[in-house]
Amino acid sequence: MEVILTNEAITAPPLDLPSREIGACVEFWGIVREQEDGRALTGLHYEAYEPMARREFSRIAAELQKKYPISQALVIHRLGWVPVGEPSLFVRVLAKNRGPALSFCGELIDLMKVAVPIWKLA
Amino acid sequence: MKVTLLAFASSAERLGWRSREMEATDADTPRTLFARASEDFQPGVARVAVDCEYRDWDTPIGASAREVAIIPPVSGG
Repeated sequence: MEVILTNEAITAPPLDLPSREIGACVEFWGIVREQEDGRALTGLHYEAYEPMARREFSRIAAELQKKYPISQALVIHRLGWVPVGEPSLFVRVLAKNRGPALSFCGELIDLMKVAVPIWKLA
Repeated sequence: MKVTLLAFASSAERLGWRSREMEATDADTPRTLFARASEDFQPGVARVAVDCEYRDWDTPIGASAREVAIIPPVSGG
């Protein structure tokens, strides 16, 4: 899985299918909301322990690949200041079928929120 | 040997520092190192990582350890 941690605004790279066997492309955008814990915000600051964040993303992806065989995955997480309404997270999963792609994407995000050392600070 | 202690987010705020070089032995545990670095140290719900892998607070860091990081509850996404 490719992992990109960036201080720049996230742009989705062009879709480049690795084979003609890809039947599903699942994409998720996480966007900074105005309301967080009942407070109105102008944005969030994200901080990461970058080498460990990359390693944890890769570990999680390897675990999920055993359950949900997919062809390719990409995660982009923005760091630093992210204004309300802008994406902080982009995930793209390519697979032969939609089931594994949807499950991989959903569980990757769930597990990220437990183990990947990235923090949002209001 | 020298190790670098790292702190992030709420743990960095609580400790008042983000990085600190420490003299350590392979028998040191993350708990003993952070306790030496900050007198009133309490890990609370934070976890700890040695060289980017989650570890136990009371397991010796070993001779190859270089970085010991306190990891408060994560909130990416």
